Order: sequence, then structure tokens, then C-alpha cells
Amino acid sequence: MSNESISVAAPQSTRPASDTSAAKTLIEVDNLDFYYGKKQALCDINLEIPEKLVTAFIGPSGCGKSTLLRCFNRMNDLVDVAHIGSGSIKIHGVDINSKNVDVIELRKRVGMVFQKSNPFPKSIYENITYGLKIRGIKKKSYLDEVVERSLRGAALWDEVKDRLHDSALGMSGGQQQRLCIARAIAVEPEIILMDEPCSALDPIATAQIEELIDELKTDFTIVIVTHNMQQATRVSDKTAFFYLGKLIEYDDTARLFSNPDNKQTEDYITGRFG
Amino acid sequence: MNLKSSNSSFSAESIQKQGNGFLGVEWGTYIKAFFGGNAFVAMFVLALITLFLFKEGVGFFPQYRKDMELYRASGQEFVGLLKTELDDYDELQQQLGKVQVSILTDLYAEGKEWEEVTALTAPFQASLDQTSSAADPLRQVVKKAIDITSEAKEAVVVNNTRREITGVDLTTLMNEEQSAAFLKSSREQIIAMMPEIEAANDMFLENLLAAQEAMPELNLSPDAKKEMLIYEKGLKTFLDSMTKFDDKLAKYDPEKPFTFLQTLGGFLFGSQWTTNSSWQDFYGIWPLLSGSLLVTLVALSFAIPFGVFAAVYVNQVASSSEQNIIKPYIEFISAIPSVVIGFFGVAIFGTFIRTLSEQDFLAWVPFFPISERLNAYTAGCLLALMAVPTIFTLAEDALNNVPKAFTEASEAMGATRWQTIWRIQIPSSLSGIISAVLLGFGRVIGETMVVLLCAGNQIAVPELSKGLGIVFEPVHTMTGIIAQEMGEVVPGSIHYRALFCVGIFLFFLSLLINYIAQAIVRRYKISAG
Ligand SMILES: Nc1ncnc2c1ncn2[C@@H]1O[C@H](COP(=O)(O)OP(=O)(O)OP(=O)(O)O)[C@@H](O)[C@H]1O
Ligand SMILES: [Mg+2]
Repeated sequence: MSNESISVAAPQSTRPASDTSAAKTLIEVDNLDFYYGKKQALCDINLEIPEKLVTAFIGPSGCGKSTLLRCFNRMNDLVDVAHIGSGSIKIHGVDINSKNVDVIELRKRVGMVFQKSNPFPKSIYENITYGLKIRGIKKKSYLDEVVERSLRGAALWDEVKDRLHDSALGMSGGQQQRLCIARAIAVEPEIILMDEPCSALDPIATAQIEELIDELKTDFTIVIVTHNMQQATRVSDKTAFFYLGKLIEYDDTARLFSNPDNKQTEDYITGRFG
Repeated sequence: MNLKSSNSSFSAESIQKQGNGFLGVEWGTYIKAFFGGNAFVAMFVLALITLFLFKEGVGFFPQYRKDMELYRASGQEFVGLLKTELDDYDELQQQLGKVQVSILTDLYAEGKEWEEVTALTAPFQASLDQTSSAADPLRQVVKKAIDITSEAKEAVVVNNTRREITGVDLTTLMNEEQSAAFLKSSREQIIAMMPEIEAANDMFLENLLAAQEAMPELNLSPDAKKEMLIYEKGLKTFLDSMTKFDDKLAKYDPEKPFTFLQTLGGFLFGSQWTTNSSWQDFYGIWPLLSGSLLVTLVALSFAIPFGVFAAVYVNQVASSSEQNIIKPYIEFISAIPSVVIGFFGVAIFGTFIRTLSEQDFLAWVPFFPISERLNAYTAGCLLALMAVPTIFTLAEDALNNVPKAFTEASEAMGATRWQTIWRIQIPSSLSGIISAVLLGFGRVIGETMVVLLCAGNQIAVPELSKGLGIVFEPVHTMTGIIAQEMGEVVPGSIHYRALFCVGIFLFFLSLLINYIAQAIVRRYKISAG
């Protein structure tokens, strides 16, 4: 067991670690309690997510990672029974749950990529321009430009540039997921939330997405949920470990994996439960 | 105690097939045959119905052709042209009658007495009489021609029927050649009358123009003026067609054969469906088809928005308690027997619409007030009621089948709920919605009871010139005519076969709609992967 812990803890990626201490806080979670009906899904979460870095959420199934992630763009509004008990979430210091926040504008600034790739049953081109079209942007030359920029940004341009008007559903799973990323970045959000974006992909497609995440972080703040410890160590700068709706430990990724403060964290990352 | 029954011991005998069965065949085989047989019977009956439909229907065309040939050969067709002219003129007279009614109503409304009114309208009355008698010379000639040709045709028809029944060429009966010669003599009699006819027609024109001249200067109220304008317009078209009439008469060739294509055209595009006429029966499907289409159009123009929007609302917006009320409610509508809906239309809805159209605050609507209680609109509204559950249920299913992931993705992009509905939900379920609409169409065009009760059953092609008011015309439909007339016809007669042909036409129409539906779905298919 102990040798496994060492192998996981050793940093797998050779890229230089970002300086996490200097980064400015973008998302600030204060004493957040969250409920599904009467059932509490998150209790007393306090968390500060830094700008232009990758933050990973890990933890066993059902611990509330997705729930917290979906609080950041208020996707939980779609669930009838979901509601915040107390506490707040601030982005740039603005409470996103306050009455005068327009959820539509919020979601424009906080994009999301889902576990199962979900391109619309439309062409590749229409998928990317969707976010702009719903905001009434129709200018062809501008749309063309955005499509190219986003697809290049998602490392997909060379693969699909000749079939932009084919259905997006004819693409491979990995391509579809990168299309979803391209669709998210087309509206130039500040934050991209990713909920297990690679769980349905093979190792090669996963590697491509991870590489992409690394490139995207120069422009975007990324929060990613993952079940894959190696992935967390490879892509993230900071990691938060959740257990039973509580934030157990939150630290620089390198530190959390090599030298966790908490016994539960250690047990989880060494595979003793989860 | 012996727990083992005697035959439970294992032996070659005990595991042998028991002779359970009937006539040496096992029960299992019977059961299999029973289930298979049911499926087979269903298919067999369907095939039989189709076959029967075609067998009975197809015979219509040769029969109708023969009938029309007789119509032409006897000279009736030629006389028919004159007859139409006179019929048109009668219609025109009726319009003038409306002017008269309007004038009289106005005078009485002013509180005048009968004698005074009579005195006041005497000049108009005189000119009315003069106009109506203008056609008298032509009427007399045409009546003579009608008698000659009808008699000749009748004689041949009776002769042919008797020959068919007895199956022998009795010497007392005419053979084909003889009857052809007989018809020819009738025709020639008419042609011989030609100068007489032309003279009568000229006189008619002369009389008409003279009567027009003699028409007194009238001081008309707005209502009466409106009727008068209609009359004057009608008169102008009549006079125009009268001059063209001479050409028509001159061009007429009774020897020309009646082709099969003409028969088919006569059925598909003929604007008359006249049966049991003492003159000549016509079987043109156009008045029925246009009636059916008009009713369907009205019905769908209500049912599509109602059905689809209700589905969108229930599926996307309604809370679950609202859903639990609305859904069963709409679905319950389809449980109402169509005769009850029709009855409601006759007893309440038709009257309601007419009363509504008579209200003063609706007087600005150009075609109000409506004259008929039962019309295409009444029937269409009630059929819409019947089509809504079909469209609603299927469209709701289609919307339900849109993967939730699409909705989530759209909302995560910052789309509003309505943008998501409009840009994602509806396009993704479009093929389902189209098939819902087409099934609604099928439901409406095939529905019989409601149209029979509420459509007004007037066999006439609705006049496009009425604009939107066309929907308030009473019409007859393809389904209605079959239901109404099938009980009275003699099996094997041409009328009977014509009704079958209407059935076949309905059959092909459904086939066509289905085909179009599939083509559209294929073209716009958006697979919800
Ligand atoms: N729509 C919902 N209605 C009610 N309860 C929910 C709903 N979604 C999640 N939950 C509950 O909230 C808790 C947290 O769920 P969440 O999806 O956030 O877990 P997770 O950490 O993302 O798990 P996983 O790793 O399996 O995705 C779970 O106990 C779950 O049962
Ligand atoms: Mg999750």
C-alpha cells in the first residue's frame, strides 16, 4: 500500500508548477450549505478558487463535487428541490445568488462541459455559434472568425475544418467532447467548469483533453471534477478533497498528494476507500 | 403412508408423449395455429378490404365513360350548354330578387302601408317581370330540345338494361348499331333546331338589354345598393359569357369520342356531383374534395397551434401538479364519441357562431353576418377538438424524447428557457411533431360523423371569390357523402361504384400524406443520439 502511495504522490507531469500563492481569488465560497429537499448535500463549504489556474475536485461518489460545481453557474436552478441553505458564492466579489444577478449573464461568463459529451443535433458550425446566436449576434464574418478561433482553441480545427457543416453527431466521442469545449470557449467565458470531462473517453482522447486544459488555463480559470487521481495531479494546480458533503482538505495539488494533512485524504488518494 | 403416486416412477412409458390432443394433433399445435391464425386473419381481412375496394371502384370508369358517351351522343351535352346558360340566368334573377326584398324591407321599415309600397315599387316590379320573361323564347326552345334528347337517351338506357338482363338479342330490342342510329337521329333533330335556337338566343339578348334600359332610376338604401352592385357585376359576366356562348355552340362536335382520360378528369376535377337527376348524373369529386380540404384546413389551423403549444407548455413549463391536471383532461377529449361532438355542434356551437356573427360589434368583419349555421367552420372547429388530443399526445411524447443533455447544454450556454425550447427542443423533436400533425390530419380527413352533422352538406365547390369568408360556406365531404349515400344506392350501379372511387381516392390521399410525412422526416431528420 505504501509504495502505491508514493507512486501516486510523485508528480507525473514534467510541466513547471504554476505559482499558486500569487494568484488572485476569483471564486469565493463562504459557509455554503446546500440541500436537495430536506437532504443536505453540502455542508459548510469554505473555498477560494484562484484565477487562471486549474482547480480539481476529488472525492468518492456522491460526496457533492458535481453539486458544488453546478452551484457556480447555478445549473442547480433547473432542479426543483435544490436550494441553498445558507452561505454565499461570490465571483469577483459579487454574490451570484443575489436577486439582481442575471443568471443568463452569469452562465455566459461561467461555461460548462459535461461528463457525457452533449453536442446539439446540429452542424459543427451551428454548435459553436449557438452561444452567440442566442445573444442575437448574426454577422457571418464574425461568426466564421469565432468558429475558427474556438476550434483552434480546442485543438479541433485541423480535424474538422473541411466538414464544418456536417452533423456534430457524426464525430468520435473525443472529438465531440472537444467540440463541447470549443462551444464553451466560443462565448469567451472567464471560468470553465468541467464535470468529469474524460470519464467516457479512451486514453488517447483523454490525453488530448488534458493537454488542451493545460493550454486553456492561460486564458481561463478552470474547475474540473475528476475521479482519476493521476489526472488531478497532471492537470491541476490546486485540489480540493470532499467527503460526505464536506470539504476535507484543500491545498496545492503537489502538496495535497505528496503530503496530505488529513488522514481521510491520505486514505482516499492511496486508494484505501472510495 | 404412500407419498409417491403410482405413475410417478421413471420409466420409458412415463416420459412418453401422452396422447393429449385432438384428432391426433397436439394441443400446442392448435394454440400456435390460433395465435398465428389471428394475425393471418387480420392481414387477410385487410387485403380483402383493399381488393374489394378496388374491384368495386375501378368498374366506375368504364361505366361512367359509357354514360358520358350516351350523354354526348344523344345531344344532351349540347343541350346542357344551353341549360347551363338558363340556370345561370335564373341565379342572376335570384340576385335581383334580393334587391327587391331589400327595397321592400326598407319601405316597410319606414312605416309605409302595403298599398303605398305597391304603388311606389310598381315601376321596379314591371322591369323585374320584363327581365325574368326575357329568357322565355330560349326557355321554350330549350325545353323542346331537352325533351327530345332525354327521351332518346332514356329509351336507349332502358333498351340496354333489358338487353343486359335477358342476355339475348331479342328482335324487339335494338342492337348497338340500331341504338347508335337512334341516338344520331335525336342528335340531328337538335342540330336541325340550330337556327331556331340561335334566333331565340339572340332574342333573349335583345330582351335582356331592353329590360336593362327600361330599369327605372332607383333611390336605394346602402344595403339594397350593395345587392344591386352584386347583380350588376353578375349581369356583366353573364353578358360576356353569352357572347362566348355562341363560339362554344359553334365548336361543339357531338361525334367526338369521349376518351378515358376525359372520364378520369371528369371524376377528379369535375365540379358537379349530381345524382338521381332526371337529366344527367355527374360524378365529379372536386366539390367533395374541396369541402374535405377546407374543413381539414380549418381544423388543423386550430389544432396544430393548440396541440403543439399545449404540449410545449405541459412538457416544459407546467409544474407537475399542472401536468397531472392538463394531460388527462386533454386526453379525455378523445374519449368523447364523435356523434356527441357533432350533436353539440348542431345544437349549440353552430347557432352560437351565427349569433356571434350577427352582433353589431363584429359588423366590421367583411363576411359577417354568416347565413348558414352549419358550415365548414363549425365542422372544422369541432374536428380541431378531436385532433388536439392526437397532436398533443404525440408532440408531447416527441418533446419528452429530446435528451435532457441537450436542454442542460443549452441552458449552461446561457440560453433562456424559451430560446432552448425554440432552438433545441422543437427542432430536435420536429420529426415527431410533424408525424403528430400528419396523424392529426389523417384523423380529421377520415372523420365522418362530425362533418356529416355539422358541415352543412351542400354539394358545391366553395367560391374562392369570398376570400376568408369561404370557411363559412356549407360544404360536403368525401367521408360524409359515402356515409350518406351508400345506404341508398343499388349495388353495382354507377353511383355505387362512384362512392367506392371516392373511398379509393381517400385511400390514396392517406398514402400520399404518409409518403410526404416520411420524406419530410427523412429530409429534416435530426437523430437524437
Ligand atoms: N437532482 C438531485 N436530487 C436529489 N438529490 C441529488 C440530486 N443530485 C444529486 N443528489 C444527491 O446529492 C449528493 C451529491 O451528489 P453529487 O452528484 O454532487 O455527487 P458527486 O460527488 O458528483 O458524485 P459522482 O462522483 O458520482 O458524480 C448525492 O448524495 C446525491 O444522491
Ligand atoms: Mg458528479
